[in-house]
Amino acid sequence: MGTINVSREYSVKEKMFLPAIIQGMIITLKRFIQGFIFHKKYTIMYPEERRNYSQRFRGMHFISVDENKVENCTACFLCETVCPAECIHIVAEERDSASNPYGVRKEKKPLSFDIEVLRCCFCGFCEEACPKDAIKLSRNYELSILSRQEGIYDLNHLKREVKGRG
Amino acid sequence: MSSYEISKSENYLNYCSDKIRPLPVTGPDAKPLPKMTLDGQVVEFVPGDTIMQVAERAKVASRIPRYCYHPGLSIAGTCRMCTVEVEKAPKLMTACSTPATDGMVVRTRSEKVLKSRSGVVDCLLASHPLDCPVCDKAGECELQDYDYEYGPSRSSFVDEKRVFPKSSTRKLSDKIVLNMNRCVACERCVRFTDEVTKTNDLVMLNRGWKKELTVGDEDKGLYNDYQGCLSDFCPVGALTWSDFRFQKRVWFLRGNASICDRCAKGCNIEVHSEKEIIYRFVPIYNPKVNAHWICDEGRLSYKMVTNSHRVIAPLLEVAGHGPTATSWETLIPVTASLLKNSSRALLVLGTDSTMEECENLRKFFSKFVQNGEIRYFNGTGITTSSENKALDHLLRQNDKTPNTKGVESLGLKPLDVAGVNGFDTVILFRSGRAGIPSVAAAKNLILWGVWSDEEVRAQKNVRALLPGLATQEKSGTFMNCDGILQSFKKAVEHRGYGLDVTRIIEKF
Ligand code: SF4
Ligand code: SF4
Ligand code: SF4
Ligand code: SF4
Ligand code: FES
Repeated sequence: MGTINVSREYSVKEKMFLPAIIQGMIITLKRFIQGFIFHKKYTIMYPEERRNYSQRFRGMHFISVDENKVENCTACFLCETVCPAECIHIVAEERDSASNPYGVRKEKKPLSFDIEVLRCCFCGFCEEACPKDAIKLSRNYELSILSRQEGIYDLNHLKREVKGRG
Repeated sequence: MSSYEISKSENYLNYCSDKIRPLPVTGPDAKPLPKMTLDGQVVEFVPGDTIMQVAERAKVASRIPRYCYHPGLSIAGTCRMCTVEVEKAPKLMTACSTPATDGMVVRTRSEKVLKSRSGVVDCLLASHPLDCPVCDKAGECELQDYDYEYGPSRSSFVDEKRVFPKSSTRKLSDKIVLNMNRCVACERCVRFTDEVTKTNDLVMLNRGWKKELTVGDEDKGLYNDYQGCLSDFCPVGALTWSDFRFQKRVWFLRGNASICDRCAKGCNIEVHSEKEIIYRFVPIYNPKVNAHWICDEGRLSYKMVTNSHRVIAPLLEVAGHGPTATSWETLIPVTASLLKNSSRALLVLGTDSTMEECENLRKFFSKFVQNGEIRYFNGTGITTSSENKALDHLLRQNDKTPNTKGVESLGLKPLDVAGVNGFDTVILFRSGRAGIPSVAAAKNLILWGVWSDEEVRAQKNVRALLPGLATQEKSGTFMNCDGILQSFKKAVEHRGYGLDVTRIIEKF
């Protein structure tokens, strides 16, 4: 690692900075006049008003569940394998075979399933790779959190998010 | 005697050691070898070879897919996956069981052959569950690989799949789980228990559609000592190794060659690890030592390396507290003065130390200690290598340490009955396999190498502990019970403060 210094020649106009400042101020003034005098709006009154995003918008992840509220994920690790940000971490275990109504179909289950959402780039590859349609990206884009710790979604969190496609 | 280095060679002639195939005669009375044409390439072979073995000698065996053929087992010729086209033969021939003849012309990739292989895979998948997401074999599965390479793009079957309700997840023993739905009936496992372990504890019941694998004797179950091999060579995920079950997908694992140190045989293994955590051991073919197999005890012996109770930080005795974690900088001067001030010191080398470690410690000891003596200690039920005997006809040995012969070849003497009497400072060096002699009589005890928490607590007079590396974490040389010298390289990085012997000696 190391820094690479790139130098380039600045023209006289650039060196004075003033033309650029004036250019910027003109835009500000234009928007001010448009908004204040002609009431043209560029922002929305969030959260009362919301933008209508595309149906294919990729927001917060969730894990779909079946009719018994059991996660569909079988801990196959395909999402972990495909994830370019390496932000999915799964630990697998065997479902207690004595009390497993699904038999072989769901003999493997995730013991823990964590997504470090702060590293996620919302590419949706995990959703595409999943053979069980378990992990999906919802249309929920309200992902603000108060601490880094909350940026790790665990299985409970992901299952809780199931509300269709948002 | 020269040692050789353990490494994985994919193209090595994979013949089993107990059925050694003739090698070409060399010398003045060598006759010209017969030749055949394999995919346009003229290759020589030894009379008696089958087409598959000719391909192996020519290092193009990967061109012929196979299920029932395994180089360590007898030839069955039942799966029909290995068919090739032989000129002048009216039908396709099985490469694994057709003997090669002089002037034969064989094509492994003709249109007819590919069509046949596609059909075989299609039929095998007709009632295959395709639960690759939960199947531990996925990633190293021959059905997956061959289907990808030769299979049809879609199944020609619409019928319901066959399910074995009782054998879907059946524990054949504590170590092996059977999923009969996935079996392709290659019978490698049945031949293995018949020919290699000679226990006959797996048999096939019924025929055709109802063919089902089960144990030979329901009361005994599956009981041979080489069960892990079943899951190695089962081409699909029908037999899986419980210990590895659901632990990791195989494509995350990195495989490095190393040696098993669980007994004096010194089987060659590949250490499968991810992020320096060992997940399993699998055998590496070596005709001189272990052929294709390793025993279950050795396979599970990685647990000592990853043991959560293993001491991986330097310990120093603090009065009233017992051994307490410290740093190397604090530990080394204390240990050095302990050794300098002792009137008579004893170094006990476990027989699990490598040759290099023994030499280095010997030099170090003679330089540092005026009045010292060096002994070796086995402690796994035997004292010297002459007492070792094989536990069965295959690999397992009575001597549970890897290098007793080697330590003896360096001219060391065993620790005798007098033990540590008369010595005030005793250094015990071991790599986690050798036993621990009774050293309560010594005033100062210095432990060195691989120790677990319990082992350290059991000693009351520990003054210092210098953590070392386990066999798979270092390189070195062992001499096995047959006197074969084998050197190995580090397979995984040590995760802790333990250091190699040379690094510790440098610090003094
Ligand atoms: S959306 Fe992309 S980056 Fe985010 S978890 Fe899925 S695969 Fe990884
Ligand atoms: S790909 Fe789907 S089934 Fe597989 S581990 Fe990820 S969420 Fe679970
Ligand atoms: S045996 Fe192979 S093809 Fe069958 S489920 Fe397992 S990985 Fe998939
Ligand atoms: S269990 Fe595996 S090795 Fe045994 S017959 Fe079936 S596929 Fe072959
Ligand atoms: S490998 Fe030749 S018939 Fe099975």
